[in-house]
Amino acid sequence: MNMKSEKEIRETEKVRQIGEELEPVFVDDILMSLKYYVDEEQAHLKIKDSEACKTCVGRGCLYFCPVGVYSLQADGTIQVGYQSCIECGSCRIRCEKDNIEWKNPRGGFGVAYKFG
Amino acid sequence: MPKTKQKKNKKLSFDLIVVGAGLAGGTAALSAARKGLKVALIERGQTPGGKNYFGGTVYTHALEEVFPDFWKRNPPLERPVTEAGYWMLSETGMTRITVQGGELLKNPADAYIGMMAKFNAWWVEQAQAEGVFLIPKTLVVDFIRDARGAIIGVQTDRPEGEVYAPVTIICEGVNNILTQKAGLIDHDLRPETVALVVKQLISVPAEDINARFGLPDSDHGLAVSVIGDISLGLTGLGFIYTCKSSVSLGVGVDLDVLDNHHARPYDLMQRFLKHPQIAPLVAGGQMMEYGGHLIPEGGWRQMPKLYGDGVLVAGDAAAMVNALHWEGTNMATVAGKLAGEAAFEAHQRKDYSAGSLKVYQDKLNDSFILRDLRQYRNFSHFLNTHHDFMDVYPGFINTALGKFFSGFGQPKRQLYRDILRSLTRRKPLLRAVGDIVSFGRTIIGW
Repeated sequence: MNMKSEKEIRETEKVRQIGEELEPVFVDDILMSLKYYVDEEQAHLKIKDSEACKTCVGRGCLYFCPVGVYSLQADGTIQVGYQSCIECGSCRIRCEKDNIEWKNPRGGFGVAYKFG
Repeated sequence: MPKTKQKKNKKLSFDLIVVGAGLAGGTAALSAARKGLKVALIERGQTPGGKNYFGGTVYTHALEEVFPDFWKRNPPLERPVTEAGYWMLSETGMTRITVQGGELLKNPADAYIGMMAKFNAWWVEQAQAEGVFLIPKTLVVDFIRDARGAIIGVQTDRPEGEVYAPVTIICEGVNNILTQKAGLIDHDLRPETVALVVKQLISVPAEDINARFGLPDSDHGLAVSVIGDISLGLTGLGFIYTCKSSVSLGVGVDLDVLDNHHARPYDLMQRFLKHPQIAPLVAGGQMMEYGGHLIPEGGWRQMPKLYGDGVLVAGDAAAMVNALHWEGTNMATVAGKLAGEAAFEAHQRKDYSAGSLKVYQDKLNDSFILRDLRQYRNFSHFLNTHHDFMDVYPGFINTALGKFFSGFGQPKRQLYRDILRSLTRRKPLLRAVGDIVSFGRTIIGW
């Protein structure tokens, strides 16, 4: 059993390296194809406690968000670019500290797919 | 001024509220309106379909069940699926297992490739023509309940935005916030039971699509799942659908593995698009749209209770997806129809309690939806525990066939030894046999 988990850990590490070695995409290039009705008055995504992000080990939001809404600041906090959110819900259920206040944008706002 | 006062006193009431104008919601509203109910269909997007994103295909059986004259209505679909199957990628190569012609040459075909935002908008227009009252740009934030706790309406984000009806059908999509608020499920989505899918729609001239994909003309289309090198050994897969003059390509990975492996979905997507077997297919194309969506792949084991006092739930919100068979749009459509009919029957009985609305569950039990979801109840778990089907086996098949068709002029006994070794190097033989047996058991539903 022990051996198996060690092997699994090795494999995870291997894949993790591959993940880091993926050629990065400049996310703005793909966002240009999207249409949004941006709610300028109200952000539908908020970090509940910005201090909690400083001690977050995984910082998964920097990886799983399909439009790169979350970016790491020099002081260890996370900045939220809610304007480019496509409302998939990944951060809502995956933030390991449950530190993201996630709402749907107000009616009429947010992403508007042309083709889907 | 007196006008507003008057309005204030007048409750906005319907026979049925449907939350979300996707395929499930649009169909639920339509089927109830057809029976004579006064239906409000509330959509948070600018237009129906604006928040909807898929691969993907729609299925004739479900469309014709709602509109027997479906094809006369000139639906905005792209191509019929005339070739389907699996493409298995190795690092530089590919093995294709697809079927074409035969069963897939019916007219109309069993499945059509579409663009969901367009198709969804059209679908709801059909519903509006039959009396459904659409309320767009409106977010439902909570329910209104009576003293006993039964749901008797919804609270929207509009000023004085209460809307009342004795039955509400929740078709809110994968982010099941209202389903939770309605008390139909006691936990949020679990990351290991949802897949995050990202997709690009890339424009390619129709004649180039036909030539590159080997399709005789624009009335033929290809739908394939892509496994192997694409997912870096994670639980995930890619897909390709040919539209008329664009190609839809995407990658789906279980949400919990992305950050564990420091992989960003758009970087995975780009790796897929740059694969030597994939890149030529969309060479020179322009990206028309990028997007992403969660797919609730937990199936049977992650389904909410489907009915409560004054409430029903259908579609992605109820985890109605069969990942292996690419089914989802058809389940949403048929479940929506059954929910609308159940709401009508509750009206006939003037009983909107859970006991009365349970008829929806009975209808689903009789349909392919719950039968299949029950049969495939272990599939999501199976994939999470058998990554090899995504990675190791496709790699082996590529190696084995590659060796078989290139091992000229060498003793064949050695060739077979090499092929066998290329499997056992990846996986002990007995474990491989065990994997195949447990795959079979999962499909049969033992």
